[in-house]
Amino acid sequence: MKEKIKSTVSHLKRSGVDYADLRLVRKTTESIAVKNNNVESLSRDENYGFGIRVLYSGAWGFASSSIVTPAEMKRVADEAIEIAKASATTLKKPVLLAECDPYVDTYTSEYEIDPFSVPLEEKIELLLKVNSILLKDKRAKVAKSSMDFYNTQKFFASTEGALLEQEILESGAGMEVTAIENGEVQKRSYPSSHGGDFATRGYEFVKAMDLVRSAERVREEAVALLKARTLPSAEATIIITGAQMALQVHESCGHPTELDRVLGTEISLAGGSFLTLDKLDNLQYGSKVVDITADASLEGGLGSFAYDDEGVKAQRSYLVKEGRFVGYLTSRETAAVLNQRSNGTMRADGWNRLPLIRMTNINLEPGEPSLEELIADTKSGYLLDTNKSWSIDDQRLNFQFGVEIAWEIKNGKLREIFKNPVYTGMTPEFWNSCDAVCNRRDWHLWGIPNCGKGEPQQVMHVAHGTSPARFHNVKIGVSR
Amino acid sequence: MIGKDRIFSTLEAILKKSPAEQTEAVLIGTTSALTRYANSTIHQNVAETNSKVYFRTLVENRVGVASTNSFVPGDLKRTLLNSYYIAENQRENPDLPELPSKASYPKLQTYLKSTASFTPRQRADKVRRIFKKAAKYDLDVAGSFSTSQSEIAVVNSRGVRAYQSLTGASINVIALSPDSSGYAEGLSRRVRDLDFEAIADTAIKKCLDSKSPQEIKPGRYDVILEPCAVGSIMEWLNYIAFGARQLHEGTSFVSGKIGKKVLGENITIYDDGNDGGGIAFPFDFEGVPKKRVYLIQKGIAKGVVHNSLTAIHDEVESTGHALTPEYPEDPMALNLFVKGGNSSLRGMISSVERGLLITRFHYINGYLDTTKALMTGMTRDGTFLIKEGKVKHGVKNLRFTDSIVRAFSNVVTLSRERQVINSWWQDIGSLVCPAMLVKNFNFSGKTEF
Repeated sequence: MKEKIKSTVSHLKRSGVDYADLRLVRKTTESIAVKNNNVESLSRDENYGFGIRVLYSGAWGFASSSIVTPAEMKRVADEAIEIAKASATTLKKPVLLAECDPYVDTYTSEYEIDPFSVPLEEKIELLLKVNSILLKDKRAKVAKSSMDFYNTQKFFASTEGALLEQEILESGAGMEVTAIENGEVQKRSYPSSHGGDFATRGYEFVKAMDLVRSAERVREEAVALLKARTLPSAEATIIITGAQMALQVHESCGHPTELDRVLGTEISLAGGSFLTLDKLDNLQYGSKVVDITADASLEGGLGSFAYDDEGVKAQRSYLVKEGRFVGYLTSRETAAVLNQRSNGTMRADGWNRLPLIRMTNINLEPGEPSLEELIADTKSGYLLDTNKSWSIDDQRLNFQFGVEIAWEIKNGKLREIFKNPVYTGMTPEFWNSCDAVCNRRDWHLWGIPNCGKGEPQQVMHVAHGTSPARFHNVKIGVSR
Repeated sequence: MIGKDRIFSTLEAILKKSPAEQTEAVLIGTTSALTRYANSTIHQNVAETNSKVYFRTLVENRVGVASTNSFVPGDLKRTLLNSYYIAENQRENPDLPELPSKASYPKLQTYLKSTASFTPRQRADKVRRIFKKAAKYDLDVAGSFSTSQSEIAVVNSRGVRAYQSLTGASINVIALSPDSSGYAEGLSRRVRDLDFEAIADTAIKKCLDSKSPQEIKPGRYDVILEPCAVGSIMEWLNYIAFGARQLHEGTSFVSGKIGKKVLGENITIYDDGNDGGGIAFPFDFEGVPKKRVYLIQKGIAKGVVHNSLTAIHDEVESTGHALTPEYPEDPMALNLFVKGGNSSLRGMISSVERGLLITRFHYINGYLDTTKALMTGMTRDGTFLIKEGKVKHGVKNLRFTDSIVRAFSNVVTLSRERQVINSWWQDIGSLVCPAMLVKNFNFSGKTEF
């Protein structure tokens, strides 16, 4: 295969491209979903193909195919050039790429147990056991437990001489239960909602979740919510748990720091960003306790890798330092606009998609107090846990999140639970109201396998290292 | 494109080798291209040739699903055996239905050669004209223009042989000034039917008319939702309410209310894959012919859509709404129609004393409380104040948070004219929506632009 790829790259060079790269990707997926003690779905998918990206006369073209033969590679290479020529007819100024060292390397993500080698029976057994515990109350009507595993083998070659092989293994699992009584519907999930938690790890990651031990608590909380009061509308102090904080970082920091959005190239779908170029190093994005980093070099995160899909080495950089906005997520093309080198965030969700700037592991760095200390230090407020709904405007300013459950905090102690909690705010105002981030003991790298962006739409695996954090004067309960 | 004869002969040969009691193969093949532009230049321009084959095997009330994107016979056979291995290791489900039996399908013209052969140069020519038009007003444009040809086939061991080739073309245009934007879109199987001039003109006019937007207070307003705004609400309503799964799980606003009035009498919503007024497609991913299903008729909840599995549960026939085999309990309406009324958009505007005209919404989320269809979302790309029957000026964007059950019970008028709205299931369906005048729609927040 290496020879086919090298031959295609040589063909591209001879065709006079400014730059080209070829990615060959094989992805194997296994998904198991159990619902109400039945295995609802059990499937395996294999996906294989290649994509060729060319810069010709200063303009981009991309073509891809699932037919992996030398003749098809040549056809697709020529198609990509033809597409680039069409792009060039509207060109205002030629695309320039920031410098990048052409690495030759191989990488395999670390894991202990290959989930694809674990017998199906064992995985199904665990999910059924979780289901049966979730359903041990007649008000618990719908129980779901699931696992998903991904193995991705990528081969990358460029006309600059890069030659990279990477194999990345990802695992995830989760559960949710819906309790229903008298028309009231309430849901609890674990470890997080929307499929659970995911990591670039093996089956040991699923085992460590201890789904069985958590199932009873999850069910009891869902049932208890049926009789809970609705969170009142107010301005309040809130502590947001790590799982919800991951979504908060994702929507209000991760996306707006993507430099392609800032430069307007994502307007047609997801929108732009309020973090315009004039705000770099000038905006107090958050309070002094807010440090946010992008770190693809962290082990085990769903945004971890050795090289991005432009062949740029994984790295760690600050986006927000002591509350000040100091950096973007960049690509070779966008970094050149700032006279910088790329910080390595370009990824495609498959061989058939163009790499875009995507979040890696975007982390709220840990602070000082423990969660217990933070709750004890809060006279009046609410603890909010687990995402239920999310919405943010197309410049990433006005957001509204719903969560599954809230606990009232009174004089440093957790009290009554509340249902249907919603909170809303404006991004910089919100982050500037943060006065405490919990410490590393409460910090966890949450995997999110469903970040959408681009046209045709791409679904990316990203992660957020977060611990609970406290915010003041936040509008809550604004559901209608 | 692989072609009908080769697909049938290859898949039937593979199916004959299946050790399972019943076997199904579903093929989705596509050759697609998309030109994306921003800052009035093409910045992404892509093409894809791909095909995916799913095998579903049934062994003693157990089911296995495996898929591959290779059409090489050896890979297909390996994938078939993989699905058999999964079925063997599955748990028994006594409610599992047989695969659907042989059916006939209406002949629909869904493939247009002129769309299939559209080139990157032709796409560039079309968008370049839009750039020129916008430049006359000192505006930038962003958007995407895609053309595709696809083929979908379902073959099973009980005699189903379904094949349809199809094309699709869609464009969206956002015109941008420093403080305003305007949106318009078009969708058709025939690229020549897209009126690029009119779509660009609409986006440009909305952008110009909403310059220097004024801030208004959140609160309750009478609103005119243009078809794109209605479409994005309908997309979420479909996701949380109109499938058998949502009905059974008790999370839909129609759960326990079939036969009862749930929305205003002027609201009728149905799904019809054979209605050429939308993007028609005649069968589902089990090879079951699509039926017209009334979801809401004159405000009364009439039913939901089914696939074979959910139909067994309710002791009804499948309505032909199965998705691909990895979603066995998620039948979905993909060809939605909201019945129009007797008004015109102009007539609606002239009837509003004080209210808002909304082009479209951004980032709607419908998970807040699905039993009430409580949703939130932002306005985007053209929001206007209407005063004394006239559009006065643009306003800064607002966040709505409201129950759509309540809102769709407060619809005063609907437009006669309907628009075909694009959705994520582009090429096999669409949303056909009128404009709506809704009383007392709730806005809970605002933003800075």
